[in-house]
Amino acid sequence: MTMFSSYHIAWNRRLKSIFFNSILPVLAAFFLGAIIILFVGENPISTYYQMLSLSLFHLDGILRTLHVAAPLILTGLAIAITFKANIFNMGVEGQALLGGFFAGIVGAQARNISPTLNVAFCLFVGIASGMAFAMIPAILKAFFHVNEMVVTLMLNYAASESLTFLSEGVFRDNAAGYVATPVIRKSAMFLKLGRGDLTAFFFISFSIFILMYFIMKYTKLGYEIIAIGKNSQFAEAIGARVHRKIIIIMLLSGGISGLAGAGWMQSERFRYTLNFSGSPGLGWDGMLISLLGAHDPIGVVIAALFYSALKVGMSKIELFTEVPREIVSVIQGLMILFLSVRYITYDARLRDIFRRESI
Amino acid sequence: MNIANKILSDAILSAVPIMLAVLGGIFAYRANVLNIALEGMMLLASFFICFFTLSTGSYLLALILSVILSVAAGLIFSFFGITLKGNVIIVGLAINLFASALTAFILQVIGKSNLVIHDAFFSSYHIHIPLIDKTPIIGSILSNHTILTYLSYSSILFMWYLMYRTRFGVYVRVVGENEDAARAVGINTTAIKYWAIAIGAITSAFGGVSLAMDELGGLFTKDMTAGRGFIAIAAIFCGRGKPGPSALYAMVFGLARSLSLNLSIYAGSVARLFNAVPYVVIVIVLLGASIVKNRNNHQRGFYNE
Repeated sequence: MTMFSSYHIAWNRRLKSIFFNSILPVLAAFFLGAIIILFVGENPISTYYQMLSLSLFHLDGILRTLHVAAPLILTGLAIAITFKANIFNMGVEGQALLGGFFAGIVGAQARNISPTLNVAFCLFVGIASGMAFAMIPAILKAFFHVNEMVVTLMLNYAASESLTFLSEGVFRDNAAGYVATPVIRKSAMFLKLGRGDLTAFFFISFSIFILMYFIMKYTKLGYEIIAIGKNSQFAEAIGARVHRKIIIIMLLSGGISGLAGAGWMQSERFRYTLNFSGSPGLGWDGMLISLLGAHDPIGVVIAALFYSALKVGMSKIELFTEVPREIVSVIQGLMILFLSVRYITYDARLRDIFRRESI
Repeated sequence: MNIANKILSDAILSAVPIMLAVLGGIFAYRANVLNIALEGMMLLASFFICFFTLSTGSYLLALILSVILSVAAGLIFSFFGITLKGNVIIVGLAINLFASALTAFILQVIGKSNLVIHDAFFSSYHIHIPLIDKTPIIGSILSNHTILTYLSYSSILFMWYLMYRTRFGVYVRVVGENEDAARAVGINTTAIKYWAIAIGAITSAFGGVSLAMDELGGLFTKDMTAGRGFIAIAAIFCGRGKPGPSALYAMVFGLARSLSLNLSIYAGSVARLFNAVPYVVIVIVLLGASIVKNRNNHQRGFYNE
């Protein structure tokens, strides 16, 4: 009886925390978004309904939603794993850009191997570039105690400026009327499964989620990640070699981000353009998704699907209403703002630690 | 005007938006709040100065409104980041995203791809400094800039005074150095942080105005600030929040931008790499500072900075 009731209380608390920390901020953002839609002179309820029906109420929409969710699940996981360890990798955007860019460059070259191998090879290149780029802040953080938030934020800009330089110069496809790299070979593309947009990339992405779930829940590394997140000194004291773990965590995060970029390149964009990552970008979407999913793998997947539905619905909303599609970015900004605060905590002591260590 | 003069003259001009954001941003930095929302505040101001100049016809009214709206963004930042104790980086990011989205949204609603002001009063009004104007080389570099440009350079002194010679400045520094101690002696740390962020919002707004009206001659395009707010943060970090050195870094980064702009005629797209310079510099500076700080630290194992 006692066991049952304590379990019950824990669940109650957890639901309460999910409600106040995730659902309420989202509703608030939608509410403010509705006010903005009213200003434009449209009906918010029918706009939101239209949006959902475009992305969820028919097969094509659902497949498109899953397809768009694939890289978002990955960038969400990439951020979640570092945030869980109280490391703030804000460089997911840059890592995804690099992954996508180099997968695209490699994919554009002819190679005498089977399509499956070629796709895998390009993905691998993307993962490697993401990892290599994440290595810089990882080493700076682990061995020199440099604030990884600032470094990763700044390196994003350095990466995007450098990639713009590369795609305007060395790797430019002169046949294209705008700044773009050459289109990747057919053999490096993910093929569409059936008539929808869905490709095998979604299943790769989903299996990474299962892997991450397993790592976080059942392995020593997952335990150490959470321990470092709660108290890095304590984690060091119980024998987690924090230096090395930070590097492993950052490499994992960078690799997953690189995979996200590479997969997006090979399943959707097929060439690097200045708008490759979209606006506001896969990495920043991942930040929202991770916040929304409370940095928990299952939460991340749910949030990614939800956000993807929002994005897919909004991308076509202009055809049916006068509402510009930028409304989705407006709502996203509001959501991140509201989600940045933990209004209620599952465990009060945890919150104190979080408070003290956040800048 | 030869190319070297042009580069230096442009450097002075392109340093202005960065420097204005820096001079206000140092207060938040010294109060130990990392305010990355400078970028968004700047963007909002550069949008609203164009928007309101076009809609009201009055430059001054537009200026006041854009400063007010920028401060409003600062208050939102403070409320979520300080009162509610959210992660300030994430709050700042949200403000930046929101600013970018809102400006793009309004542009879409009014059906324009950018805002152009044809008779930009302030950008056409250049000041000729009497004596310097006639001096051969220096004249073409230092003279013939706008009011806002001279205002921003002279505000280095003002901000220095505010930081080191006023009670407010002392409070800001105390709050940043030891918040518990500040609270113990009765300083309202929350209020000080609000003020520090508000100053950053005001100067960033002027930075945005300078960018839209002076540097581009009355133009707003989508995401026009293009990372200038982040460059300002880089300058603040490199100058460790001191008005003089931070402003100097802002000038260096202004020079980098001017080089990338002017040399692209000769060097082609390679010049674009200069745009990445400030971001790489901050990483190197942070690394150097960290090595110096931790040189005599023999603590075993890992510790948080």
